[in-house]
Amino acid sequence: MRPRLSFEWLHACSGCEIALLNSGELLLGLLDRVEIVHFPLLMDHKYTTRAGGEGELNLPEAEIGVVSGGVASEEHLVVLRAMRASCRTLVSLGTCATHGGIPALRNQWPIAAALKTVYAGSEGGTAIPDTILASLDRVYSIDEKVPVDFSLPGCPPRPESIIELLEAMLAGEPFHPPCKSVCETCPTIRTGKGQQKVRRFLANAEYNPEKAVDEMRCLLEQGLLCMGPVTAGGCGGKDAPLCIRARVPCRGCFGPVRQGGNQLLDMLNALASNGMGHRDIVDRRSLLRFSGAHGLLKPLRERK
Amino acid sequence: MNPQPKIIAFCCNWCSYAAADLAGISRLQYPGSIRIIRVMCSGMVHPEMVLHALNRGADGVMIIGCPLGECHYIKGNEMALARSEVIADTLEDQGFESERFQVAWVSSAEPERLAEIFREMSGRLAALRGAAQVETVAGD
Repeated sequence: MRPRLSFEWLHACSGCEIALLNSGELLLGLLDRVEIVHFPLLMDHKYTTRAGGEGELNLPEAEIGVVSGGVASEEHLVVLRAMRASCRTLVSLGTCATHGGIPALRNQWPIAAALKTVYAGSEGGTAIPDTILASLDRVYSIDEKVPVDFSLPGCPPRPESIIELLEAMLAGEPFHPPCKSVCETCPTIRTGKGQQKVRRFLANAEYNPEKAVDEMRCLLEQGLLCMGPVTAGGCGGKDAPLCIRARVPCRGCFGPVRQGGNQLLDMLNALASNGMGHRDIVDRRSLLRFSGAHGLLKPLRERK
Repeated sequence: MNPQPKIIAFCCNWCSYAAADLAGISRLQYPGSIRIIRVMCSGMVHPEMVLHALNRGADGVMIIGCPLGECHYIKGNEMALARSEVIADTLEDQGFESERFQVAWVSSAEPERLAEIFREMSGRLAALRGAAQVETVAGD
């Protein structure tokens, strides 16, 4: 029997699944050797419970389960627990699943305030629909809720890396996710002397479009807020990181370099220890835009 | 709950740790709940170490280095000063009162001042704890 694969998405945008489908011929090679038993984006599949509608959600058994997206509502939690129960190994795919991702930006406010803002009704009232899912108090990464065997961050993860991970699991070999920072994979020129003032992301870099990326000056040294030093690398494979290739600063989408890192603290620390103006950053909490789970982003305390 | 707030104090090897040593030899009094961790330079204390201490239950954290301009490693305490700004800015983001962190500069010949700083910090944290208790009582 072929190894079975089961995919599920929670608080996600389907970008991770699209990334998998984007892997081209590598995907065809994989599909010949596995059987996909559950994949809401690609296959119609009814969600059933055991014996007469009561009890836990029943998902097909699989050797490998892949979950993208964070956990934001009770429904996500039920689906995630069912995935854990039905899959022998569980992979968290994408930054939402591993670090909370963009949806975890919501963790900056209490859930009641967030709902009130999103569902603002007319005349200052609110119009929160009755059908809204029962939200959890904040957005969680999936490893906060169930044990996870492998993690592959990225927004989205690099298609080749997803295939590499699945191939390694099928072969029973260890898979090592990237453990270097974006800077370590970045070819731009660093001189050690940079701007003191930090400009916003929106500012344009100075470069010659005729020349290759490795002839461009490091964006952080140009004073652009590039999150390369505190972000896990691997987005560009063996080539330059993707955003740097597009001549824009790293946004931090692969999450912290090591599990448990804090991108906000590490970035400000990196700026401060190099004499750069860390107080020039207008909205510093947005540095956690991809890694707000694990309790890193939380509502501000009210001081009396 | 312990009567005295637990404080982690990172003291640099060259000035403030020597001052703490001297304070001990001189039998100066300061709260016993202060835990001194000797580091080679105040500039090596990463903000994550401070946050880790607070997350693991310390009431307050102090970084104490040589007086500015007298660092054994030339510019280590200036880096500590820059980093302490980062810590002060982010503590509130992370759900801690900014009073829970303090940076100070003490030379090895100032044990009285070190003891005084320790006492002040301990008093401030005790007041903070008192305020929190009053808040809970009022909340009920």
